[in-house]
Order: sequence, then C-alpha cells, then structure tokens
Amino acid sequence: MGRTVRAETIVLWLCVAVVAIAGLAPIAVMVFESVWQHGHFSLDHYRELISTARFWPLFGNSIRLALATTTVCGVIGVPAGILFAKSDLPLRSGLMWLLTVPFVLPPYFIALGWSRVVACVGANTSDWLFGFGGCVLVLSSVFLPIVTLLTFASASNVDGRLEEAGRLASGWPAVIRRITLPLSAPGILFSLVLAFLLAIGELSVPSFLRYPVLPVLSFTQFAASYNFGAATAAAVPLAALALVGVLVESAVLQNRVFTFRSIGRGLLIPLGRWKPFAAAIVGLLTVALVILPLSALFADAFSMSAMHNAMQRAGASVVRSVIYSAIAATILMTLGFLLAHLTRDRGQRLVNFLTLALFAIPGTVLSIGLVRLWNSPVTWFIYATPALLILGYTAQYCAVTTRLSLAGFFLIPKTFDEAARLSGASWARRLFRIFVPLSTRTLICAWLAAYILCLRDVPLALMTAPPGGDPLPARILTLMANGAPPLIASLCLIMAMASLIPLAILARVIRAQAMPA
Amino acid sequence: MNHIELDGVSKTFGERVVLNDLSLGVEKAERLVLFGPSGSGKTTVLRLIAGLEVPDKGEIQIEDRIVASSGKNHVPPEKRDVGMVFQDLALWPHMTVQQNLMFGLTARRIQKREAEVRIREMLNRVGLENRMQAKPHQLSGGEQQRVALARALVSRPSILLMDEPLSSLEDERKRTIASDLLGLHSQFGFTLVYVTHDQAETDLLASRVCRMRDVQPAV
Repeated sequence: MGRTVRAETIVLWLCVAVVAIAGLAPIAVMVFESVWQHGHFSLDHYRELISTARFWPLFGNSIRLALATTTVCGVIGVPAGILFAKSDLPLRSGLMWLLTVPFVLPPYFIALGWSRVVACVGANTSDWLFGFGGCVLVLSSVFLPIVTLLTFASASNVDGRLEEAGRLASGWPAVIRRITLPLSAPGILFSLVLAFLLAIGELSVPSFLRYPVLPVLSFTQFAASYNFGAATAAAVPLAALALVGVLVESAVLQNRVFTFRSIGRGLLIPLGRWKPFAAAIVGLLTVALVILPLSALFADAFSMSAMHNAMQRAGASVVRSVIYSAIAATILMTLGFLLAHLTRDRGQRLVNFLTLALFAIPGTVLSIGLVRLWNSPVTWFIYATPALLILGYTAQYCAVTTRLSLAGFFLIPKTFDEAARLSGASWARRLFRIFVPLSTRTLICAWLAAYILCLRDVPLALMTAPPGGDPLPARILTLMANGAPPLIASLCLIMAMASLIPLAILARVIRAQAMPA
Repeated sequence: MNHIELDGVSKTFGERVVLNDLSLGVEKAERLVLFGPSGSGKTTVLRLIAGLEVPDKGEIQIEDRIVASSGKNHVPPEKRDVGMVFQDLALWPHMTVQQNLMFGLTARRIQKREAEVRIREMLNRVGLENRMQAKPHQLSGGEQQRVALARALVSRPSILLMDEPLSSLEDERKRTIASDLLGLHSQFGFTLVYVTHDQAETDLLASRVCRMRDVQPAV
C-alpha cells in the first residue's frame, strides 16, 4: 500500500483532533490547573475543598441522589423496556415515545411543571418537592427514557430463535428471566451507569429544587465567586466518577452496538387477561411522569399576550438556539459518521471510550474546562463567540452520533465496500457513492438526535454562551427569577415545540428504518 | 509461468488457523475450482488474492509481481486487476444495474461514451440489456447473479474470482449461468478462480480442481 499517507488517515486524524480540541484539551487543562499553583505542583485547592465543611455533605448528597434516581429508573425502566420490546401491550409504540418526552426537554421543565402542580394543590404540599424527594421524582422522569429505550433496544436485539428455542421448553416468564434478561444485561447495565452519571452531574434541577449537590457548588464557585481553582477542584471528582463509570461500561459492554428494530420480532408475550391491567399501569405512569407536570407547565402558555411577550423578550434566543443547535448537529453528524466509518474495523474501542467519557462528564465540568482553555486574548475569537458553545456541544454529544453511525454501518454488508474497492474506487468515492447514500436514514437520525440534545442542553448554554448570546434554555432559567408565570410557560412551550417536532420526525425515521426493504 | 502464485501462505483469525503453509499456482486463462467443505479456507484464498485480507506468512504474486507478503499488502485491491463475484453478490441496492456497472469504469477513468458502450455490450452478453434501469431488488435471483457477473467483468479484469455465486440457485439455472460463464471465459480469456462445495458446479466449470481439506490443501 506504499508509504504515502492515505486520505482516510488524514481525515481520521483531523476528526481525532477536533474531538481532542473540543473535549480532551479543556479537561486536561482543567485538571492541570487544579494541581498547578504559582508555577509549581500543589494540592492546595483539593485540601481546601476537602477541609471545607460543605464538601462531604454535598458529595454525599450527589451520590445519594444519583443512586436513588438510578434505582427508580431501573425498577420502572427495565420492566417497561421489556414490555415494550416483547409484549403485545396496546399502544406500546406511542406510550414509549411519550415517556421519552421529558428527556428531550431541558431537565428543569419537569421540575417547573411539578412546582405549578404543587402551587395549584396548595402551599403546604411544597415541602416534599423542594428537596431530595422532588429531585428524585424529576430526575427519574428525565432519565427514565435512557433505561427504557436501551432495555428496549437490548431486548429487541436478542435473537428471536434463542427465545423460541427456550419457549419450546418453558413458559414466557422463564424465557424472559433466563434468556432475554441475561442476554440484554450488558445493555441494561450500561443504561443504569449512564443514568447514574447524568444524575450525578445534573445542575439545573437540584439548584431549582434547592437540593445542595456538588455540581451546584462547582457552578457557584465558577459563576458567583469567580474562583476557578475551587470550581475546578469541585469539578474534578465528578470527572473522575464519569471516567470510572465509562471504564465499567467499557469492561462490561465491550462496545456492543445496538440497532433499533421494529417492535414484536422474536418472542411476543401475549398478555391475555393482564393486557388492560398492564396498559393501565403504563398509562398511569405516563400521566404521572409526563402529562401531569407538562400540562401544568403549559397551562398558562396559550394566551396571545403571553406568547407575544415571550417572543419579544426571548425571540432572539429562540432563533439563536435553533441556529446553534443546527450548526452543532451538522458538525456532530459529520464527525460521528466519519469517526464511525474510519474506526469500524480498527480503533473503535478507543474512540468509543473517549467519546463516551466526554458524554458522561457533566456539562458544568466541561464548561469550566472550555472557559479555562479559551479565555485568553489570543483565542478571543472563540471565547467571545458562539464557537465556544458549539465546541462544547461537539465534545459532549459526539458519542451519540458516533454510536448511531456505527449501528448504521453494521446494517451495510461489508461486501458492498469490498466490491467498490475492487472496482478501483478511492476511499472518498466509496464514502460518498456507497456509504453516504446507504446511510441516509442513519444520518438523519444522527442529525436529529444531536439537534435535540444540543437544544435541551442547560450547563453549556449557561456557562459558555457569549455575552448577550444566550440560547433559550439559559434565557428561560434567567427569566424564571422574575418573569411572570405565563411568560415562562409560553417560553417553555416554544422550547418544547422546537424539541418535539424533531422528535416526532425521529420517531418516524426510526420506524421507517425498522421496516424491511 | 503462473498467473497467480501463492507461496507458503498462512492465515489465522484469532486462535483459528484457516490456512497453513498453502502453496498454489494458477496458470493464465485457467479455470481453477477450489472445492471443499465449509471452513476449509476457500473463501480466504479468494480474499487473499483480491487483497481484501493480508497473509500472516508467505507471499502472493500476480503476474510475477509480489502483491502481498508476510503481514503486508504491497498492492491494494483496486490495483490488482481483479474482478470478484461475492457469495451475497453485494449489488449496491441504491444504484440501478447501469450504475452498478458504471461505478468501476468511472473509478478507472474510462470515458463516459466508451463506458456506456461497454456496459451495453456486457449486459447484452448476459441477456440483461432491457434491465439497465432496474434496481437490484426488482430483479430475479438469476438476473441478480448475471448483473454481479457483468459488474465483475465490465472493467475487463485479467482475473475473475467467484465465491460460491450459484449456491442459492436451482440446478437448471445453475447450468444456464455456468454456460454463460464459460462463454465469457472463452471470449475474454480471464483467469478464473471459483470456490464451491458443489460437485456439479465443479464438473461444469473446472479445467483443474484443487480439493481443500481442513487447513491443508491437497492439490
């Protein structure tokens, strides 16, 4: 193959460089600065942090909150995922997408919705919401879709023939217990690790519901006290936890790739007389976790004056949100597609590990790193512009588009590429003539998923957006302090529409993808 | 003088030894059939000749040029002048029959007009001149086989590799396509290396048979 550097090698290194500049460099700088003071190595920031009376209680609160959220997500999400994947539950597709809604909205929306519910019921009931219980309820609603969808995907990927072979020997409960669940276990474990990591790094919900946790301390040190050293030292334990979580994922899952298939392949459990009961339970769950808080949130949104006021006060933020998210989604789609394409045979584990570590690192941690790295006169053109925010989005969500693309590549027979290669086509030609046309749906899915995730992001929007250039989730959070409820409700509705329309398209694309050609 | 020469070639996949010290020569315009059970390494031999796999040990020569040796491919697949019909045919589903054939010709920078003439001739030769604008899923199994054959031959390679392409067809259709293949062979004079585990296909096509057993071939 000669000694000349091939085009794909150059493109691969360019992609790696983008990930390194966007995500790895800020984290490295942040860790370095937390142990480097006045020109020499020092652990003073950490000593100071650990010796403060607040650190250990906050650390304990963070762990407690994440564990409780993960437990609730596991207890509800795993049976729900299995039910959606393997049973004849009526309306299961619609119910599953409805349960996904809280995840595609900024997490504090559900908290805000519950605060409206509580306000309607009466002031005495607010105690349980503003504290540990409320945080667990809200974060469980927000992260439940991760466990449900990944359990669904894992269970759907279990070879139907294995279950049918088991069905010949025993009833479906035993088949689920002894075949489906063990074979889906790595995916389920991964979803639980992910829910834990996202819950431990969550900033907006605990700060709104006044439950003190480590990310809030880190954010306060950064935004209010301007103490970068302390903010960084508070952020590093969160980054370390994320790294441990990803190592667990990497060891257990070994980069298994999941593809979404249509509902009902393989074993299909007839619920029989339990069908109405199961449907009622899932329906009630959907009402309690999604419909009730969101209805309360949007109840005041539909007056013309509120909508007009909302557009006047935050119209520019809406446009900015959509533009920033669209630009980031386009970069993420391209980057994920190229990384997945270039590493599908070699280097996949390393890329998966790095991108997942960046996904699991809390947005507050990444934001502090980005600000530390780019806040200098030389790099002002990045620091003072939306480029910083887009770099943050790129680092945080690259794992999603890379994994979606990888799952798409597994559906394309390897021989298509080999045949093209033997025909004399260069790498670029094979990429654009074979892989891109065959991956249209994958690319659409990746773009929409990235767009939704960027649009709903709060910490990066709050901490890295340029002055006067805040996206909508940050704008709403700012206006919540003194804005009238109808104004906030209208803004939330606009934000929800911007997220839910792409989600509806995504649902259609995935359904179409699941259908045989 | 051999057109293709494999000298002491070994190949393992993880722990599994697929080929162990295989030496094999194929003369120009010969029709060699690699015959043997599943897992005997027949497909691996084709993929090594094509450059889609790299030998762990040994050397592969095509027309006296070393194209691969011990862990390294010296000549990439697209420069080996090889056409291949895959077991699953690998017809690109988003392209028409004409586009499937055009792809390789454009990559080899053949003038568009000449390419169109070649495609028409080739499709005429395999009886598919009326199916140029069809997509693979609109073709019958036999038609798909012939498109795959036409695609492999349209760029006039000196070597044609075929990996059990007829295994899914009925006997009658097998005989028709085998007879087409023999006609194309006499017209274009390519060297054919054909993999099968079917004795009937071997009898129809082979000018020489290499029987492959587990790991070691017996020529």
